[in-house]
Amino acid sequence: MQRQLRFLLAAIPFGALSVAVPFVNHVEPRILGLPFLLAWIAFWVIVTPGFLWMLGRVEGHW
Amino acid sequence: MNASIALGVIAVIVLGTVTFAIASVRRFTMTPQEYIVGGRGFGAVFLWVLLAGEIYTSFTFLGAAGWTYTFGAPAFYIMAYGTCGYIFYYFLFPWIWRMGKEHGLLTLPDLIQVRYQSRALSTIVSIIAVLALVPYVTLQLSALQIFLTVAGHGAIDPVLGACVAFLLIIAFVFVTGLRGTAWASIIKDALVIGALLFVGLAIPLQFFGSPATLFDQVLRAHPERLVLGTLTSPKGSLWYVSTVLLTGLGFFSGPQSIAAIFSAKDENVLRRNAMFLPVYQLIMLLIFFAGFSALLIVPGLKGAAADQSFLAVVSRYYPAWVLGFVTGTGALCALVPSTALLLSSASVVAKNIAGDLFGIGLDEQGRLRITRLMVVVIGLLSLGLWLVYRTSLVNLLLLTYNGISQFMPAYLFGAFWKRVTTAGIAAGIVVGIVLAVTLAATGNAPFGLNPGFIGLVTNVIVVVVVSLVAQPAQALSPEPVRD
Repeated sequence: MQRQLRFLLAAIPFGALSVAVPFVNHVEPRILGLPFLLAWIAFWVIVTPGFLWMLGRVEGHW
Repeated sequence: MNASIALGVIAVIVLGTVTFAIASVRRFTMTPQEYIVGGRGFGAVFLWVLLAGEIYTSFTFLGAAGWTYTFGAPAFYIMAYGTCGYIFYYFLFPWIWRMGKEHGLLTLPDLIQVRYQSRALSTIVSIIAVLALVPYVTLQLSALQIFLTVAGHGAIDPVLGACVAFLLIIAFVFVTGLRGTAWASIIKDALVIGALLFVGLAIPLQFFGSPATLFDQVLRAHPERLVLGTLTSPKGSLWYVSTVLLTGLGFFSGPQSIAAIFSAKDENVLRRNAMFLPVYQLIMLLIFFAGFSALLIVPGLKGAAADQSFLAVVSRYYPAWVLGFVTGTGALCALVPSTALLLSSASVVAKNIAGDLFGIGLDEQGRLRITRLMVVVIGLLSLGLWLVYRTSLVNLLLLTYNGISQFMPAYLFGAFWKRVTTAGIAAGIVVGIVLAVTLAATGNAPFGLNPGFIGLVTNVIVVVVVSLVAQPAQALSPEPVRD
């Protein structure tokens, strides 16, 4: 259970920034003026520290 | 007149930073341990500064904007791959660091030697590691040359600029060392943020009103630039995915990154850095804005000239001191990482080739002397590459990643798979490199995939197959990973 959770916490942002990108390769809808593709990438970059923080919590490092 | 103001500002910025770095490192005696891995005592903040200093280079500054200018959306990979790299290496940092600490390692081939117990393998890795970093140094040199040439308003021709750049880089390495690099990068990062806010925010605001209207106009003039091409087209979606995977998985696999990992004080310092460094990637948004702005304001730059795109805007529309500030900041972005790159590859030659293989320079003084000599030799190789092969900055970076990413399986399997064999790792690295280099040199990209990625996947398959077929020669894992 903990193993799966750790895997997911890493795999979700990693996948969103890599293999998921061909599926979000659009200009519309624009987010805050940015093309959707760029906004998607920026969003996942912003939330990645949150995922890694949770990962560190689950592993008991902080 | 304009040229002397701009060049004067560059000189002040560079000399000021060097003075600050020298003053800060004077307190430490320069043993190889101190020179190469900073005495293994860097805390979270200092390591963050060092990593930000060596990861966010003049490539970030010029190359990414140049690619945005030329291709548009394919440049977005640059924001994504570092973040993927931090996530992946979160799991590998502790193992690499612990090996370094327990065995007193200094370099990447040291790590390979301890884990796989093969002088032949660690020698191959040393040679590939040094050769792979040459284009990365060339990239910094090439960028520094661009900054000098643009600031000189044509008074400095490119070849002279490159030679001056080479001398500056060598001088910078000699006087600073790794700890000096970290101190210098504090100033560098502060200036970078200022310069990027200017080129990435002030320019779009002044010319277009807001980033949103900037994108409206890009959309009208070049609708195809804001998305990736079809799945298998050149620089299409599959190219994006394979490039992010290649460069993300290889993000910390180079000798300069291994040295940085060894310089950390403990494991959590590394985990914290993996968590916080993605925030830095957001700066790339400003670079994309700058690149798209330049595309609309100064259209028509081709090939390697596109790397100068936003500098062309600054030099045409702003006063000379602004150009000096931007190019001076850029110069630091080339100098600071060059130090880490040259030091780590030179120390690989001094320790793993001259010392371990030929028994030369075994005492501290001897090793320091060879390291310094190799800094000059590798610098000259980079200058040579620049003279014979002018290409865009992104191409130079991808060339480096084709090489260093092939070491990743050695860490991944080394940490997590007891069954892995030395023969498997050696075969994987050789096959991966040969395939990546052959595909890249012949311009072959099946399905639009990045050639280095095809090399890496083949590398992993070869490691697994060879390891399963051959019996492990001896118990190799000195330290299994704790969970």
